Amino acid sequence: MTRLRWDAIVGLVGLALLLAGSYIGLFEAPAERHMGEVQRIMYAHVPTAWSSMLVLTAAFVFAIASVWSGKAKWDAWMTGSTEVGVVMGALLIGQGMIWAKPTWGVWWDWDVRLTTTLIMVILFAGILVLRSFVEDSERRATWSAVAVIIGYVDVPLVYFCVRWWRSLHQIQSSPETVASTMVTPLRINAIAVLLIAIWFVAQRTRIELARRRNESVAMPARRARRDGETAAAPQES
Amino acid sequence: MERGSPAVLCTGVGRRFGRRWVLAHVDLAVERAESLLLAGANGSGKTTLLRILAGLSRPSAGSVRVLGRDPHSERLTCRRSLSMVSHRSYLYDGLTALEMLRVWARLSERGFSDDQLGALLEEVALSAHRDLPVGGFSAGMRKRLTLVRTRIESPDILLLDEPLAALDAAGKRLVERWIAREVERGTTVIVASHDVTRMSRICGRGLLLEQGQIGWTGPAARLPAEVEGLA
Amino acid sequence: MRSLGQIATLVRKDLLLEWRGRTRGLSVVLFGVVTLLLFSFAVGPDSTALRAGAAGFLVLALLLSSTLALSEGFRLEHENHALEGLLLAPVEPVALFYAKALSNTLFLLLLAPVLTPVAVVLYAVDIGPATLLQVIGLWGLAAAGLSAPGTLFAAMTSRLRSQDVLLPLLLFPLVVPVLLGSVKAIALILTGDPMQQLPSWTLLLAGFDVIYWSLCGVLFAYVVEEGV
Repeated sequence: MTRLRWDAIVGLVGLALLLAGSYIGLFEAPAERHMGEVQRIMYAHVPTAWSSMLVLTAAFVFAIASVWSGKAKWDAWMTGSTEVGVVMGALLIGQGMIWAKPTWGVWWDWDVRLTTTLIMVILFAGILVLRSFVEDSERRATWSAVAVIIGYVDVPLVYFCVRWWRSLHQIQSSPETVASTMVTPLRINAIAVLLIAIWFVAQRTRIELARRRNESVAMPARRARRDGETAAAPQES
Repeated sequence: MERGSPAVLCTGVGRRFGRRWVLAHVDLAVERAESLLLAGANGSGKTTLLRILAGLSRPSAGSVRVLGRDPHSERLTCRRSLSMVSHRSYLYDGLTALEMLRVWARLSERGFSDDQLGALLEEVALSAHRDLPVGGFSAGMRKRLTLVRTRIESPDILLLDEPLAALDAAGKRLVERWIAREVERGTTVIVASHDVTRMSRICGRGLLLEQGQIGWTGPAARLPAEVEGLA
Repeated sequence: MRSLGQIATLVRKDLLLEWRGRTRGLSVVLFGVVTLLLFSFAVGPDSTALRAGAAGFLVLALLLSSTLALSEGFRLEHENHALEGLLLAPVEPVALFYAKALSNTLFLLLLAPVLTPVAVVLYAVDIGPATLLQVIGLWGLAAAGLSAPGTLFAAMTSRLRSQDVLLPLLLFPLVVPVLLGSVKAIALILTGDPMQQLPSWTLLLAGFDVIYWSLCGVLFAYVVEEGV
């Protein structure tokens, strides 16, 4: 029962902060000089970016724990974090596209961070697909944890690679230049989105733990053993 | 590892696949140089038990000790003293019999010359096929080649899973003699077989698995009657 | 060291089996050639565009052929459960991994001397023997980068249904650094490198290789833990 309460509190606080931060960001903070109202997407975009990275990092840590200890709970936490991380990554890409179209006239401009996110979303979504194909729960846990570790190590490599690749062409600015008056709603929303993400991770983890518990049936009762050593003639069962 | 400790010791071993317990409450001690016959219907857990002893599978419950060690976590040490003959042949169809033996010999780090390997092939009447690809071998020939592997590995513990399956009468006799010789040599032998009558002549002890649990233990000679009694 | 001897034995075994079944290997090579042809049709008979994209097409052909080669590398292991037989021998899973990854790298490397001349012809690229050697060298780094994670993932997917779609799905996003790095590097070799960028890209590829050959070697034991 204590478990139920901690994440409910986290979720409610997060929701409240999100409402507060979004209100300030949308109605009270000044519009950005050059880009205008569309800049306000930053109050959703930046927090989503930070949170998705944190959640995927958590998935990486849980993956290491899962491989090391083999315990079901780490696999459950890893699954929850990976799924939420993938969804947030997809949201991030959507937000980026919403910002890019009115600003640059194109949906996609190969921004380094968004391109890296796209690759990572596909990779981690692939790991989730891998999970659905493995029936044995222990093997599923080990294999997907190994894949998460390999995938996470790739993130900085992909980022730097795409950055070099892009730097040969024009660099366009992304919606992350922040003036001091905009910092407060940004910080509020950053914490808010993180708390809400944690709430979602906790829910998904709980479902996964319940699923594992459902699978783990207790050993059937011990049956009597017939001893053929001493008996003169073997008895029938 | 103390002297006189059993070669194989299982305490409360269980194995679960999904919601189904394939093995449960398996308590077993096999002394060195002892020979044990595992009997039981299909699906009674014989193969699973052997795989756990070989370190290929981890028990869901209980503990296993092979020569005093955990076959899963101390895999390498256990595998040096253990050999498994499964109904899987573990062969590469594209290699010749001699090449296959060479691979096994080098992996086991036993210095076998080609002549020595040739002599081993002679023992199982395969020397005529030594330079022929394994892909063309019959089931009986594959089984015989797998037996040579156990000679190369020279194990302290020999595990056999249905060694007589898919063999003709001559093949069965050869395998029987082979196992009998290993038993004579003092190798600890655990064999799972449906052919209880034949195997009970070679093995000392018998164990009957029923739905994953031990139903009966006793001298191997009494096993055929026990199995009959259930039929 | 003992493991080195075991790795040598296993690599020799793989090469011998590949040679004996070389029609299968040949079909992978032909697949690569077909891919290069398809790119030409997709772009059109515009030699400027083809020449500009030559490096990219070449690397993509390698990438697409690689999944076939990697799956192939494990098919023989599962035919008679031979891989399980290897696991029963006193061989460290790490040694198994490096032997397999090395065999896969060598096989992918063999694609280079066939596909590069085809690309040179189809895409009207000017290339001398020294340049060709450089391309093959870079190809080797790329092949190694594909083989390490590829061998590990192939070990997993070869046991599952839909392995044909799972392996590319997992591998392709992961090896984007190899893809970008080798395309850039080969393009620089083919068209000239006025700003001396080639060393950086080569270093990136080498770095990826070192990281993944180490990491996958360590993790492979967990993948084959429960027998395969």
